[in-house]
Amino acid sequence: MNLATFRAGCDLDTGTSETPTVIVPQSLRDATSPLGKGGGQTPGNASGKRSSYDMELCASGHLPPGMARNVLTVAGRELRDAVRAKWFLLYTLAFAGLGLAISFVSASATGGSGLASFGRTTAGMINLVLLVVPLMALTAGAGAIASDRERGMLQYLLAQPVSRSEVYLGKYVGLAFALLACIFLGLGVCAGVLAWTGIGTKPGAVLWLTGLSFGLALGMLSVGMLISSLSRRASVAVGTAVFVWLTLVFVSDLGLMAGAMALRLRIEQLFWLSLVNPLQVFKMWSLHSADASLDVLGPAGLYATEEYGRGLNAIFAAGMLAWVIVPLAIGVLVMNRRAAA
Amino acid sequence: MNGVLGAILISVGGLVARAGDGLPGNDHESPRDRAGLSRAVLTGEIGKRIAGAEEGATIEIGPGVYREHLRIGKRITLVGLPGAILDGAGSGDIVEIAAEGVTIRGFTLRNTGIDLEQENAAIRVLAGRATIEDNVLEDVLFGIDLRGAPDCIIRGNRIGGKALDIARRGDGLRLWRSDRGIIEYNTLHDGRDAILWYSSGITVRGNRSENCRYGLHLMFSDEVVIEDNTLTGNSVGIYLMYSAGVEIARNRLVRNRGPSGYGIGLKETDRFRVQENLITGNRVGVYLDGSPFTAKQPGEFARNIFAFNDIGVTFLPSARGNEFSENNFIDNITQVAVSGRGTLTGNRFWKGEAGNFWSDYTGYDRDGDGIGDFVHESRTLFESLTDRNPAMRLFLFSPTQQAIEFVGRALPAVRPESKFEDEVPRMRPVEIAFAREEAAGGALGLGGAAALLLTAGAGVLVAARRDGGT
Repeated sequence: MNLATFRAGCDLDTGTSETPTVIVPQSLRDATSPLGKGGGQTPGNASGKRSSYDMELCASGHLPPGMARNVLTVAGRELRDAVRAKWFLLYTLAFAGLGLAISFVSASATGGSGLASFGRTTAGMINLVLLVVPLMALTAGAGAIASDRERGMLQYLLAQPVSRSEVYLGKYVGLAFALLACIFLGLGVCAGVLAWTGIGTKPGAVLWLTGLSFGLALGMLSVGMLISSLSRRASVAVGTAVFVWLTLVFVSDLGLMAGAMALRLRIEQLFWLSLVNPLQVFKMWSLHSADASLDVLGPAGLYATEEYGRGLNAIFAAGMLAWVIVPLAIGVLVMNRRAAA
Repeated sequence: MNGVLGAILISVGGLVARAGDGLPGNDHESPRDRAGLSRAVLTGEIGKRIAGAEEGATIEIGPGVYREHLRIGKRITLVGLPGAILDGAGSGDIVEIAAEGVTIRGFTLRNTGIDLEQENAAIRVLAGRATIEDNVLEDVLFGIDLRGAPDCIIRGNRIGGKALDIARRGDGLRLWRSDRGIIEYNTLHDGRDAILWYSSGITVRGNRSENCRYGLHLMFSDEVVIEDNTLTGNSVGIYLMYSAGVEIARNRLVRNRGPSGYGIGLKETDRFRVQENLITGNRVGVYLDGSPFTAKQPGEFARNIFAFNDIGVTFLPSARGNEFSENNFIDNITQVAVSGRGTLTGNRFWKGEAGNFWSDYTGYDRDGDGIGDFVHESRTLFESLTDRNPAMRLFLFSPTQQAIEFVGRALPAVRPESKFEDEVPRMRPVEIAFAREEAAGGALGLGGAAALLLTAGAGVLVAARRDGGT
């Protein structure tokens, strides 16, 4: 089955040379193109390959029928392409490398006293996730639709017997799995180092942090793909994604801090306002689960613990879920309304 | 408050408590005798044996559940053989000691009343030189309550409170004007406070306290020694108020959290020494409010470990005259905080050549003498922000915090004043043998978690690649 052409066309990073791709330089693109010579072919001259894609869609007999099957087929392709792409490799390496550094630093900091509690390790990991995961997920999502649209690939895809929603959701699921792999590998390396150096972090806490990181990644991917579906050009999409990342990581916090001090916000207002930011939701939820108490975050955290107690999990879950579902739903709507080209 | 309550009880008790007249057990008239209590003395099996016993006798009670309220009015030793259970049946006190020199040992006492105004207690001691040893108190409102009972020994008891809301619980252990007592090797859990009121010369040693409000609370109690206790998961570990002459040594204060959440709090306390304590995982390790109260003697903090607390030490601006030497400050989120703004000029963080170990010290030691070549200063922008405006702690652990701290380092114009200095910071932690906590032991499980994550991650990759091959 000659799927090489299709795959090459789909791949964000193996576009034709005239395609403006903002993520990876040309030299790298050629060097690691998963399909070597196939990389040069454009969807435009692949008309003969359409049937092969049809065949794959119909031939996956073991998959559930209808929409789910189509979504999974697209997801499988997207995952395959993502895993072979450079952004994935770079992010995974960066994530794991920074995780390693943090783990070793915290190992040396306790001075082998054998004391362990909520300390620099968890804080460091939370910080790392806050910085890297949203960037990763936003840019991955931003590249998903816009670059295909730019290259005409989207048009080609939609000529297949798949609906727009299926393509959109398929891409989402595929990228989600790629991010899952990246996060698992990165934090897995951290946990391995911590185990090896004998730092007493609870295994459950690490797993929980990993799960929450994935939740955050899902939300950010959702936002990234919404940006992508709204953008005509991939460069604009990725630029917007980076801007959103900056806003969520730095600008909103700084703004909220300044606002809280200038307007003398009450702590409950501060708490609820901060929950608008999915990064804060992630942070508070991880702290809440690691320490079972938010009072580490001062008066606002104390207020939250006293006021909502066990309900906090539900609040955080709702916040995180909203950031996954709402942009995803809007994205599907946009996708269905906009022209493919 | 307590005095008023006591006075009410005494007057009420005096009016109604005449039923037990003529009993040998009533030789020593209690100031707060009560009708229910005395009637029970007539009926119960143990009560009868006490009534018939000689002064100074030892009475052994065999196994069984005794639904009795006892009042001991003569100097006897009451020993519960294994399985001897005194059940208060959910009302009133269980045992009241009204004579000097009584010993109670080996009982299980359970199920007092829940009347906070009557202060229902498992064992109430109204006379001195009592020994209360190796009893198990379960489901009690107040556990052991000493009122004007000097020279008592309370040893090896296990005191468990009622599963009530904290506001409706009673004190596991309370001393009221009871000097020179020894309180050792008891375990208190799920109660309200262990508290000393106006009781001086007490030794509190080797006790454990979990899930209470105040692990140990001193009010106006002088010359108290507090050593080798383990206070975990209470709202407050040790809180001293208006006391003087207190030694706090070799205690473990772990994860005392909540709105107060102090490992050790000192309010207007004078002449105190805090040495070799392990203070870890608390919201605030040590909280200093107006202590030391006078300038007679500096407040001394030596060879303690402050580790992984949200705040290592909090000073209210009123706290002056404390000396910190040879302490280890390890990874407290904020090592030292000043409530409100300001510096800690009235306090010193080194003594002669003995400084402290600071895990956030950034200097180096070129001459290899174990002392950092540069003064340790604390001047991070974010910390000065949270000191002034604690609500900003909400932004801890975020890249924003890092960014603010970076700005603080990079731009001298916005760099805050140094909060405090340690002129001779240590390069390595002080070895404090006793304080080595068992390693958290998660290495194996953590390795498992690592393996799980790595396998799952790699699995996705492999699956993706294999898909591509078909």
